[in-house]
Amino acid sequence: MQKKLKFALLGLVLIHLAVLGARFFAPYDPAEQHRDFAFAPPMLLHWVDAQGHLHLRPFVYALVYHSESSAAGPYEDDRSRALPLRFFVESTTTHGNSQSAASGEPQRTNHLRLFGVDSPGEIFLFGTDDYGRDQLSRLLYGGQVSLFAGLFAAVLSLGLGILLGSVSGFYGSWPDAVIMRGAEIFMALPWIYLLFAVRAFLPLHVGAQESFFLLVGVIGLTGWARPSRLVRGVVLSAKHREYVLAARSFGASNFYLLRRHILPETYGVVLTQAALLIPQYVLAEVTFSFLGLGVSEPAPSWGNMLAELQKLYVLESYWWMFAAGLVLVPVFLLYHMVADAVQQAQL
Amino acid sequence: MSYLARRLGHAILVLLGVSILTFALLKLAPGDYFAGMRLNPQISPQTVTALRHAYGLNRSLPVTYLRWLRSALRGDLGYSFAYNTPVWPLLRSRASNTLILSLLAMAGAWLVAIPLGVWAAAHRGASLDRATSAGTTLLLALPDVLIALGLLAFALRTGWFPTGGMASVAAQAMGPAARVRDFVLHLILPAAALAAGVLPILVRHVRSAMLDVLDSPYLLAARGHGIPRARLLFRHALPAAANPLISLFGVSLGTLLSGSLLIEVVMSWPGLGPLLLEAILERDAYVVVAAVLLSAVFLVAGNFVADVLLYAADPRIRAE
Amino acid sequence: MNDQAQTQAESREPLLRVVNLQKRYSRGRGWRRSRLLIEPLRGIDLQVHAGASLALIGASGSGKSTLARCLAGIERPDCGEVWISGRQSGYSENAHASGPIYMIFQDCGLSTNPRFTAAEIVSEPLLISNWGTTRERLHRAIGLMTTLGLQADAANRRAGEFSGGQRRRLALARALVLEPRILILDEALAGLDLSTQAQMANLLLEIQRARALTYLWISHDLTLVARLASDIAVMDQGRIVESAPVREWFAGPRSPQGQSLLQAAGAWRSRPAS
Repeated sequence: MQKKLKFALLGLVLIHLAVLGARFFAPYDPAEQHRDFAFAPPMLLHWVDAQGHLHLRPFVYALVYHSESSAAGPYEDDRSRALPLRFFVESTTTHGNSQSAASGEPQRTNHLRLFGVDSPGEIFLFGTDDYGRDQLSRLLYGGQVSLFAGLFAAVLSLGLGILLGSVSGFYGSWPDAVIMRGAEIFMALPWIYLLFAVRAFLPLHVGAQESFFLLVGVIGLTGWARPSRLVRGVVLSAKHREYVLAARSFGASNFYLLRRHILPETYGVVLTQAALLIPQYVLAEVTFSFLGLGVSEPAPSWGNMLAELQKLYVLESYWWMFAAGLVLVPVFLLYHMVADAVQQAQL
Repeated sequence: MSYLARRLGHAILVLLGVSILTFALLKLAPGDYFAGMRLNPQISPQTVTALRHAYGLNRSLPVTYLRWLRSALRGDLGYSFAYNTPVWPLLRSRASNTLILSLLAMAGAWLVAIPLGVWAAAHRGASLDRATSAGTTLLLALPDVLIALGLLAFALRTGWFPTGGMASVAAQAMGPAARVRDFVLHLILPAAALAAGVLPILVRHVRSAMLDVLDSPYLLAARGHGIPRARLLFRHALPAAANPLISLFGVSLGTLLSGSLLIEVVMSWPGLGPLLLEAILERDAYVVVAAVLLSAVFLVAGNFVADVLLYAADPRIRAE
Repeated sequence: MNDQAQTQAESREPLLRVVNLQKRYSRGRGWRRSRLLIEPLRGIDLQVHAGASLALIGASGSGKSTLARCLAGIERPDCGEVWISGRQSGYSENAHASGPIYMIFQDCGLSTNPRFTAAEIVSEPLLISNWGTTRERLHRAIGLMTTLGLQADAANRRAGEFSGGQRRRLALARALVLEPRILILDEALAGLDLSTQAQMANLLLEIQRARALTYLWISHDLTLVARLASDIAVMDQGRIVESAPVREWFAGPRSPQGQSLLQAAGAWRSRPAS
C-alpha cells in the first residue's frame, strides 16, 4: 500500500514538474503558429531510416504538404529529409503572432529547450491544431492552467471547509446551525449547476490570468460544503474524547485544544478529500474552458484545447486533438490511487 | 408519516434557501443584460433605465426576490430578455428533455450496476471481480467530456447513430414507428455517455454494500441452511444491502444531473444544459435563475424520493 | 502572629467546600429542547478536609462523574459555589481557574492522546500553563515518570505502546505534574488485573503521604473503598444522601441507598463461597 502511494505521488510530482518546466520541456512557444502546418498529424520518432540504417540519434521526417484530397491526409513524410533530434537547443521564440505585427518588431527571446530539430524543419510529436500550433507545447503550458487551477481551488475549498467545519463542530449551537444549513443549500444543487450559477453572474470576457483566478475562486468557494461536513463530523467525535477533556481540565484554551488535539484528527479525512477534490476541480476548469466560460484563447488550457473538438470536422478527422482530454486520464488515475491509499491507511 | 412530513418540509426550506442564494448571486454580480445596451449609441440611456425599471432590475435584493417569489409561486418564473418570452414555457420542454435523458441513463446504469456489483461481490477476489474493479477504476478516471466526445466521434465514423440533437430534420414527415425509432437512435449515445459517468460509482457501492451483508452472521447462517446461491444473493442479501443503495440513488442523481449538463451541450441534446449555457453567455438572468433552481428541484425531489423509499424499505425508520 | 492565625483558620476551614452545586442538561433539538431534562446534580453540599480521602459511591447515573467533572473544571455547573482553602473558585472559559484540582479518568487508554509521546502527555499541563522552557518541562516530566516507576527511556514512546498499568501511571504523572492539592480518581483502578491494582493502590497511598494530597475517589468497588478511603459519601439522584467516616459506614449505613449498596456488594462477595 505504501508502495502504491509512493508510486502515485512520484507520478504526480513528475507531471506537475513537467508542466511547471514547460518553458524548458516544450519545443515551441504555445502561441507560436506554423501556418503551413495546420492540423499536422503527430510525427513518429524513427531510429531506422529508409535505407535500413540504424541511427543512435532518433529522427523525424520532414513534413510536406501533399494534397487536400488524399486519403491519408494532406501531409506526408519526406523520406529524403530526416531531421535528427537535437537536445538542449538554444531557441528563439517569437512572441505573439508574427503576421499581425501591429506593434512593429515582434519581441524575440532566447532560452534553452530540452529538444528540437534544426531549422528549417519542425517537430510536432503530438501534431498541431488549426493554427499550426504545436500540441505538445500547448499541452504542457495548458497543464499549468488546468492542473494548478484544480490544486489551488482544492486548497481554497479545503481551507474553508476546515475552518467552517471545525467552528461548526467545536462551538456547536447557532454557528453550527447556520453553517450546516448553508452547507445543505450548497449541496442541494447539482455541482456543475452550482458552479455555473456562481460563474453566470461574473464577468464573461476577461484576460487569461484574471480568468484563472476567477475560476480558482469560483470552484474553491463553492466546494466548501462537503469537506466542512466531514471535518465537522470528525471534530464532533474528537471533542468528547477523554484526552481533550483532560487537557481542558488543565486549563487548555479552545485554540490549544483545536490545534493540538482536534485538528490533527482531521488530517486523514482532509487528505482523502484533497486527493478526491483536486481531480474533480481540474475537471471543473476543463469544463468551464471547454464551454467558453473559462480561460480563453490564445492562452492554452486543456479545456479550450478540447473545445476544438466541438467542430465536427475536427472531431471526425483529427484524432490527435483528443490529447488534451487523454492526459486527464493518467492524472485522475494517479490522484485516485492516492485517495485509495490514504483512505486505507486510515482504517 | 411525521418523518415524511418533516423531510418534505426540510426539502421545501432547502429550495427556498437555494432560491435566495441564486438571487443573492444575481444581485452581487456586476453587469446585466442591459449593461450591453448602454454601449449601443442607438439606444438612449433613458430607454435603458426604463427597461431596467420595467424588468425590476433597479430594486433592492429583498424586494426583487419577494416579487419574484410571489410570481414564481403562481407559476410565472419571469421573463427571458434574449428569447423575449416568459421563462416557464421555454424551460418546460427543455426540462422534460433533461429528465428523459437523465432517468433513462439512471435506469440503464442501475440495471447494469446491480448484477455486476452482486456478481463481483459473490466472486470476491476472483478474476471476474478484479476485472470489474479495474474497469471501474478506468471508467472513473475517464472524464465525461472525453466519453461524450469519443462516442460522438464513433457516431461520425460509423454513421450508425445521429451526431446530436433529438430528432432528424426529416422527422416531421416520418410515420409514428419511424419517428420513435429515430428518437431512440438519438437518445442512445447521450444516455450511454451519461450512464458511463455514474456506472463505476454505482458498481463500487453495490459491491461493497453486498460484501458487508455477505459477511454478516445471519447470511452465513442462511448459507448453512443450504439456500441456493442465486436465491441467497438476490432474495436475502440484496434487500438487506438496499439501505445504503437507496441513499446512493439520491447522491448519484446529483452526479447525473451535473454530467447531463455537459453531455447535452456536447451532443446538442436540447435540455437544460445548452439553455443554461446560452443564458449565461447572454446574461439572461431570469433564465439562469430558473434553470439553476429547477436543477435543485430535481435533486431535492430525487432525495425526497430516496427518503420515501427508505421509509418504505426500513421498518426502523417507520418506528422512529 | 498573623500567619499563625491564618493557618489556624485554614485548619478549621475545610480544604474543599461545595455549596448547592447544580447541573442540568437538556436533550432534544430546537423547540423540543425542553422535552427531556436531565438533572445529574440537584444541589450538592460537600466538605473535604486536607489530607482526607473521600470516596463517592452510588449507583450508576447518581451524578458522581458529573460532580467530578464540575470540580475538575471540565464542565461548568449551573449554580452553586466551590470553595478551595477558603477561596471561591470561579468558572471561566479557562477552566484552570477552577483551582488545583485534577482528575484521572476512568479509562486511561482514552484519556491519553495516542498521537502523543509519553513525555508529551506528562508535560502537557506544563505546556498549557506556560510553565518553563521546553527543556525544563521535559526534565520535570521525566523526573516525575521515574518517581512513578516508569523507565526514562519510555519518554519517547507513543501512548498506544504502553500497557494498561503503565498508562495509569502516565495519567497519574500528568495529573501530578502541576502539583495539585486535590486529586479526583474516577474509577482509577477499574479494569486492571489484581496485582497491578494492588501495585497502583500502594503507589497512590505512598504519593498521598509524600505530597500531602487529598483524594476524591469515585468507585463502584467497595473492597477498594474500604481499604483506601477515610470517609464515604453516598450519592443518589444528584444528591448526597449520606456521609460518614469509612469504619462507621461499613458498620451500618444509615441511608437506604447505602444499605442496598453494601448489601449488593456483600451478596456478590458471598456468592463464590456458597
